[in-house]
Amino acid sequence: MKKFIAILTLGLVSLLHAEDPLAFRNDSAAVANDISFSHFSVFVEGGEIYPMGDMMDAVKNTLYGGVGIHYAYWDNVDGVVMFQYAYFKPRPDIYYDGVHQFMGRVGVDWRWNVIHPVVLGGGFTCSWTRADSKVHLYDEPGGTLTDNETEFGWYARISLPVFKYKEYSVGFHIMWEELWTYPEASDMLSAGITFERCLW
Amino acid sequence: MNSFMNKFVAALAISACSAFASVDPEMEGMEVVSRDNGTYLIGSPTYYFDRALGAGGIHSESELWTPRKLNYRLLFNRMSVLPSWDPIEAPSVWMKTGNELGDLIYRDFLMTHNERPVNRTPILEAGVRTPSFHGFWATFRLFQDDHYTFYSAWEYRRHVVDGSFSFFGENWPMFSSAYGGLGYTNDFVNASVLAGMEYMWFFTESSRWIPVQYKPRIEARADVGNFTASLVFEDGEYQNKTKKETGERKELNGSIVYNCGESCKRGMLQLSAGLSFRAVDDSGVVYTSLDNDLVMWPFLEMRVRPNENLKFDVVFGVNDRDWLVQDSVEYGIPVYDRMKITFGGKNISGTRLNPIADTYEYFDGDTISLTAAGRMNLMQASIRLDDTLTNFFGFGARGSLWAEYGAETFDVDKYVVDGIYTFRHGDVGRINSWIKGVTGEFWINLWYRDLLKFTALTGFEHIEGKEKRFEIQPSEFFAEFNADWLIKKTFRISHSIRYRSDAKWNLRSKKPYVVKGDWYWDATFEQRFPKYGLSLAGSIIQALGKEVIETPNGDYSRVRFYCTAKKAF
Repeated sequence: MKKFIAILTLGLVSLLHAEDPLAFRNDSAAVANDISFSHFSVFVEGGEIYPMGDMMDAVKNTLYGGVGIHYAYWDNVDGVVMFQYAYFKPRPDIYYDGVHQFMGRVGVDWRWNVIHPVVLGGGFTCSWTRADSKVHLYDEPGGTLTDNETEFGWYARISLPVFKYKEYSVGFHIMWEELWTYPEASDMLSAGITFERCLW
Repeated sequence: MNSFMNKFVAALAISACSAFASVDPEMEGMEVVSRDNGTYLIGSPTYYFDRALGAGGIHSESELWTPRKLNYRLLFNRMSVLPSWDPIEAPSVWMKTGNELGDLIYRDFLMTHNERPVNRTPILEAGVRTPSFHGFWATFRLFQDDHYTFYSAWEYRRHVVDGSFSFFGENWPMFSSAYGGLGYTNDFVNASVLAGMEYMWFFTESSRWIPVQYKPRIEARADVGNFTASLVFEDGEYQNKTKKETGERKELNGSIVYNCGESCKRGMLQLSAGLSFRAVDDSGVVYTSLDNDLVMWPFLEMRVRPNENLKFDVVFGVNDRDWLVQDSVEYGIPVYDRMKITFGGKNISGTRLNPIADTYEYFDGDTISLTAAGRMNLMQASIRLDDTLTNFFGFGARGSLWAEYGAETFDVDKYVVDGIYTFRHGDVGRINSWIKGVTGEFWINLWYRDLLKFTALTGFEHIEGKEKRFEIQPSEFFAEFNADWLIKKTFRISHSIRYRSDAKWNLRSKKPYVVKGDWYWDATFEQRFPKYGLSLAGSIIQALGKEVIETPNGDYSRVRFYCTAKKAF
């Protein structure tokens, strides 16, 4: 009988908790173990993006730049948030010069001891694009980009810090990014330099 | 086993059982997209057929009125969670955005206009609920789901309305809603008043999408002690630009309920009672009507619990037009320390599944009666076995037999094809013969602390009847594998892979429309920050399966990704 009552009571509690997606903040054990943001750094980075596969027929290589933050998530895992910008020029003859692309990424960096100091990272990416044109010729190739277009995808990244002085560090990174476009995914490879400052 | 272990095992078993619900829905009320343990066919955020395997009868859950749905939205004849005006309970700020996968981006440079796929469309939500100040709080929310829209918008719907009929973009979404308001909460009172504007398309028996703009919509709610009350005013503007028709409906609806309180719930007899009502004032062309412009629906809820193993539940409502009874009995027998067998019986009888809905629809000179003469009667008997074999593994099974007489259906007179749409003339009717079904479900649960919760479940259903004039022939088989991982209490991965067999719409087109069975995969990845009450989540929905139209005159159900950020104050 006690088990039956316990099932009903705990079931009700479970349902009530399900209504609050932030209920985990009331879990004292989870709060006690949470080391997030115990260190925090900001970075700027820049480099070049290389379209891969049949994307090479669509756009030219281009430069990119951006900013981001690193924050402690677990002991050997950092959370990452990045914002970047690039201007892509089409290879085919399109009625405008290029496309503004803003990229936002949320992911994690894993400092795996076995390959130290190399850091492995991955996460989700979102790219927002808009053609550099005031003319909207929707039926022409590239016409959809005259309106805003957004696509999500994933990325994987390898980072190599090569220089560190006090709270400053400089490193290289290589990143593979895939956007879930139609009819096939669109792949790009980027390589660049990161300049980072640890704030705490 | 001692009491503590009993509770521990029970808690884990429940957690494991509810694991399937863990993939984040794209919006409140869209949980059905990630369900296949039955027949869930989505035409748009504002219309879907939802019937759990083993529910009994041939109707969908949202067609049936129950007191639990008093704060749901009435979308034509369905009770819908979405678009939800339930104030978010936790003081917090949140934002959500996402998109159906498959925009072209730079692939647009490599193809001609004619080769392009249909555009993919986003969702958007932002909101806030302030912390309480001496019990007072404020809230604001804007939300819009553009999924299931673009194909039908460009082929048909955009010609019917002025402008983009939404707060953002030009995808003619099926709803776009914004509200703000104030509330007051203490130990005795929880009250709120919200006001806003809303664009909506609802789906009718003729298979039309009817646009309405609520301008304004005002909703007040109050929970005072054991009483709950709500009052809604909607000024709905209707239009059909191609037919040069306009109309307006001013509607007042709401409810007042006496709920069984805490002390009452400890007693053997638990009683609640209430009244739900709608009053409308129509002018011009509004495409539907309510008999006498008024419906009053008094109802009574009763639970009798002679002992801990036995309970009877009854919901009864009646007015001058309709009556509806929903009753059930459950008898649970603890067989062994960890095993329980539950015998159940259910009955639904009544003249109408949803007695507060409109009574007529008007379509091209035809008056479609939305009520049918006579009554329906559904009976179901079930047996359920739950067993937690160890403190990390359990299993269960449920079987049932059901029979329904007088099931609500639609008597089609003729079909009309208009572009991509097929409409129908006729009236709501009944199948005045017995439909019988047999169902079986089996599940296993596996869990390890709070790190892993895994559920595998499968089910089948076979339905027989002389007249197969069902709106939907439900799918007969499903299988699901669901897992929740919570790593270091801060990183959650919830995913679900599922198969559902074919389902068939019989009455919405000249030839039956088969929705082929398929596998689907959904997943949510969430970073949690318990110390800061912060959550960052990304979800991918409807992956693997072929993108199809699941409801005639609906739109494609596509793979989509969305991310959500929430921060508690």
